[in-house]
Amino acid sequence: MKHQGKCVVEETQPIVIDVGDGAAIPKPSDKGLVSAWWLSFIGALVTLGCLLYFKPNPYWRIFKFIPDGILVTFQVTVSAIALALVIGLITGLGRISRNKYINLVASTYVEVVRGVPLLVQLFYIYYALGRVVHVPDLLAAVISMSVCYGAYMGEVFRAGITAIAVGQTEAARSLGFTRSQTMYYVILPQAWRTILPPVGNEFIALLKDTSLVSILGVADLLRRGREFASESFLYFETFTMVAVVYLIITLILSKLVSFMEERLSHHVKR
Amino acid sequence: MSNDSPIIRISDVSKYFDDVAALSHVSLDIAPGEKVVIIGPSGSGKSTLLRTINRLEDISSGKIVVDGFDLDDKSVDINKVRMEVGMVFQSFNLFPHKTVLENITLAPIKLKGMDKADADAMASRLLDKVGILEKADVYPAKLSGGQQQRVAIARALAMSPKIMLFDEPTSALDPEMIGEVLDVMVKLAREGMTMVCVTHEMGFAREVADRIVFMDGGQILEIATPEQFYNNPQHPRTQKFLEQIL
Repeated sequence: MKHQGKCVVEETQPIVIDVGDGAAIPKPSDKGLVSAWWLSFIGALVTLGCLLYFKPNPYWRIFKFIPDGILVTFQVTVSAIALALVIGLITGLGRISRNKYINLVASTYVEVVRGVPLLVQLFYIYYALGRVVHVPDLLAAVISMSVCYGAYMGEVFRAGITAIAVGQTEAARSLGFTRSQTMYYVILPQAWRTILPPVGNEFIALLKDTSLVSILGVADLLRRGREFASESFLYFETFTMVAVVYLIITLILSKLVSFMEERLSHHVKR
Repeated sequence: MSNDSPIIRISDVSKYFDDVAALSHVSLDIAPGEKVVIIGPSGSGKSTLLRTINRLEDISSGKIVVDGFDLDDKSVDINKVRMEVGMVFQSFNLFPHKTVLENITLAPIKLKGMDKADADAMASRLLDKVGILEKADVYPAKLSGGQQQRVAIARALAMSPKIMLFDEPTSALDPEMIGEVLDVMVKLAREGMTMVCVTHEMGFAREVADRIVFMDGGQILEIATPEQFYNNPQHPRTQKFLEQIL
């Protein structure tokens, strides 16, 4: 990786939109993955069913204890993704800006965030924020997660925008649209379609990564599990349950993203 | 040739990509209502020259004045100038996320503040003119290349430009669709539009052009009426080019 400003500026990579650290998104054409999806999904449901049915104690107790945590996990995920989208849009536009200072700031942000482990960032932002203002744990968690994911989202936006053919910009500019009007009326509405699937992917990755915020004292799914385990000392049983619940959630979400992808590609072919 | 003062005045324009001269010391005046066809082998700089007229390409030196506006003058709003200069591209470049009608009305509504009903009515008129009114509510992907290019012409006309630029408008088309696009262009020419066309369509050039500009190596080698150009070309390079294509 070159770190000179100029190299970063001119680094307009070809169309690589695949930010593949989320759950594998099943593709209709990919039969192997589809069956892997079904196998995992049915396996997870059967495991959950059997545990609840055959060993209601302790599994039923655990199952009743953790739903608050699921709710918090979703709260953190949805708020963080919303904020990350905003940061990502700004960062993505900054990365393709012709102003070299804006460009440098956006690129540096991306470099720094990508270079520091998420857990370290969480601690850092949490305690850094704590020095300036007192913010609730939940808010601190959301801010930390969005700062991190905003950088990844910025790359998604950048790739989505640069994937739109230059002729679109030229056509709009030749009609008299300014640079920002062109972006708003012509480029972003098209880029959105390319961007949505990887955003769905990031959403799933983010949902899993929110388990890290349990360390900051946010009562998410993992935290609730840990609370239960530390009272009951049933560590194995509790984390089995937590893992199965996470798995079911991410599998459902990845299927949703896959549907969305399919519908979008349909839309484009129309 | 009319005696009006030129609506486009290109004076001693050069343009360099890195060290390569894409245009070198090009000068050309175009009168209002005039039809100029630019011809030349690929890489001759003809598209580059066309694209400097609405500043899709910046120039390295020289001066271009369009409808009284010096394009390099910092106080000139290039977007205002571009509203007066329609452009049609080789690859159509219709907006795929908008219907045919929306493609045409987007700029008048957003840039001129035209209200939607008026814009729709105008778009329908233009679509009728280019002969595809029935496709108004279709998305561009559903259209043939010839139809897309006719929509692109209608889109450019929707801003009521004084000048129309055509950048190889038929080069990406299947042969059977070229005619329908050229017909629209001929119609436009008859209405008195100022047109600058980069094209390989010799029949069109012969029929419509007031002057033909022959370029090679980033320079204008010859400017002539179609009559002179085809029957009695002066420059040896022009003679050779015509031998090859005719």
